Amino acid sequence: MAAIKLEKLNKHYGTLFHAVKDVDLEIADKEFVALVGPSGCGKSTTLRMIAGLEDITSGDIRIGERVVNHLPPRDRDVAMVFQNYALYQHMSVYDNLAFGLRNKKTPEAEIKAAIDRAAGMLGLHELLQRKPKQLSGGQQQRVALGRCIVRNPQVFLFDEPLSNLDAKLRAQMRIEIKRLHAEIPTTSVFVTHDQVEAMTLGDRVVIMRDGRVQQIGTPLQVYGKPANKFVAGFIGAPAMNFIEVTVRDQAGAVSVEGDGLRLTVGGPEAPALAARNGRRVILGLRPEHLVLGNSVQGLGFDARVEVVEQLGSEILLETRVGGSSVTAARVPAETVVVRGDQVRLSAQPGRLHFFDPETELPISG
Amino acid sequence: MFGEQQRFVLLLIAPAALLLLLFQVVPIFIGANASFRNWALYDPKKTWVGFDHYAAVLSDPAFLYVVLPNTFLFMALSVAGALLAGLALALLLNRPFRGQKLVQTILLVPLMVAPVVAAIMVRWIFNDQFGIVNVVLEAVGLEGQPWLVQRWSAFGIILLTDIWLWTPWFTLLLLAGLQSLPKEPFEAAAIDGTTTWRVFRFLTLPMLRPVIVVCVVIRAIDAFRTFDIVWTLTGGGPGRATELFSLYAYVHAFLNLDLGRGSAAAIVGGLIILVIGVALFRLVDRIAKA
Repeated sequence: MAAIKLEKLNKHYGTLFHAVKDVDLEIADKEFVALVGPSGCGKSTTLRMIAGLEDITSGDIRIGERVVNHLPPRDRDVAMVFQNYALYQHMSVYDNLAFGLRNKKTPEAEIKAAIDRAAGMLGLHELLQRKPKQLSGGQQQRVALGRCIVRNPQVFLFDEPLSNLDAKLRAQMRIEIKRLHAEIPTTSVFVTHDQVEAMTLGDRVVIMRDGRVQQIGTPLQVYGKPANKFVAGFIGAPAMNFIEVTVRDQAGAVSVEGDGLRLTVGGPEAPALAARNGRRVILGLRPEHLVLGNSVQGLGFDARVEVVEQLGSEILLETRVGGSSVTAARVPAETVVVRGDQVRLSAQPGRLHFFDPETELPISG
Repeated sequence: MFGEQQRFVLLLIAPAALLLLLFQVVPIFIGANASFRNWALYDPKKTWVGFDHYAAVLSDPAFLYVVLPNTFLFMALSVAGALLAGLALALLLNRPFRGQKLVQTILLVPLMVAPVVAAIMVRWIFNDQFGIVNVVLEAVGLEGQPWLVQRWSAFGIILLTDIWLWTPWFTLLLLAGLQSLPKEPFEAAAIDGTTTWRVFRFLTLPMLRPVIVVCVVIRAIDAFRTFDIVWTLTGGGPGRATELFSLYAYVHAFLNLDLGRGSAAAIVGGLIILVIGVALFRLVDRIAKA
């Protein structure tokens, strides 16, 4: 078991492409950290540098007490699950699981015991004699997980392991991975572009963009207190609505005005906003924090329904506020609403986010 | 009888089919016909003799105990040698290094050399009086050898020439095969702590096997018919010690002018290649499916 520490980690490809920029990250022993971000954000490169599959340009990587910067992958005591499983196609499942241990010349009896244990955890017993080609995608990914477990490494690395599975299997495997981590707590780094996976699996979530870490925090922290507009928009589905508004401070009563809406701000962010009287800021509203009706004084606005998505459990409304801004809202499934309806939406107090349009940093009290 | 589209297709195939017919199929039938007759240039009667020539070829001790063993030995060793050398070079070239493209191009040179030219070159290199090999040996105080008039050295030189000529062909195809292998299993193996040898033995080789088998099949059939370098280097000598099947047929047909006997030998050889070819292709099929 080991902690991982990345210090000022950089990766250049040639002179033009700076894939990973000054990444600092400390992962505690047995912690499960999810790296998430859009494609090309450097999350996979970071993971591959931890694995030793990519050279690092500068900075340090520590696993446990050791600096592993220049160690080959085999000396780092890590195991990795790949997006396309990377199973050894011409070997049986048993041999796939045994391969890493046979590399270390482990006695066959011990190998068999380790495989028995892993196969039990993952339900692989019936599949041991098959070839990977004869397995479904989900089964193959379970074998790949098993290959990691039997080696009992210090660190598990996951490189988008669920991306090739269909939605239902993905949800199942997510639970499986979560259960495994509870049964054999091992330091884990999980790379994904799917914020739902990151939020559900990670003890902490690291959001990256363009090679830089945007925010590191627990799922609740990154959802509730996003470090910038990018994180706010990336975390949460459907994504947060952003509306350009102007701040009005009328003798202590702070409000924001946009095209077709005017909201009174009374929370702790009011003084910080008041200081920007007359300037433009970006208002962020999560769809789940909008309710139908005029329930809250000063936080309601009119909207015209453009698209109705009935999900059974709820309805997603795509609405137009004023001339331009589009806003999504989540409302109860029983609501009777059709395209073209005028509705009244209200923001929940204390759930308003404000961002500086230039720096994209949050404005808060 | 045919639709417009089929007529067009047939029209397009016709030139190639005609050439194949005239220069491959018809000669085979002429040869087969000749193999059943006393078809010597000085004997215009072309008497039908049935299987006499076949009996003569198959009971000829030179054919059975020298030519056939030579041919099979040559085929096996030449293919194995070029395969091993080609695989080694392909593995070396598969890792990036400075000047890789240049080395790759230089390696192709033997493929561009006509086999006869290569054979003449090698013959001079191993010439017992003027050859560079003997000059060097004598300069360091060793005794020069009459390389091409001793059975096994002559056979070895023929083999080495053929291997030298064909190694780049293997390198090229195996390198293409290596570069088309998925890289994730190799990364997984690196993380699993696999030694270079075990990566080669348990990943590279099994994954490359289909390419290797196809190369071996094509090359083995081709090696069976080798003529030019042997004819140029030793002419089958010393005596008939390095005579291969194609030389045997050639000598009978075009030096002894016994076209019947030569044709019979050629057809026997053709049948042998057919059997070997079918067996090897079955093997490919099995390996491809496995």
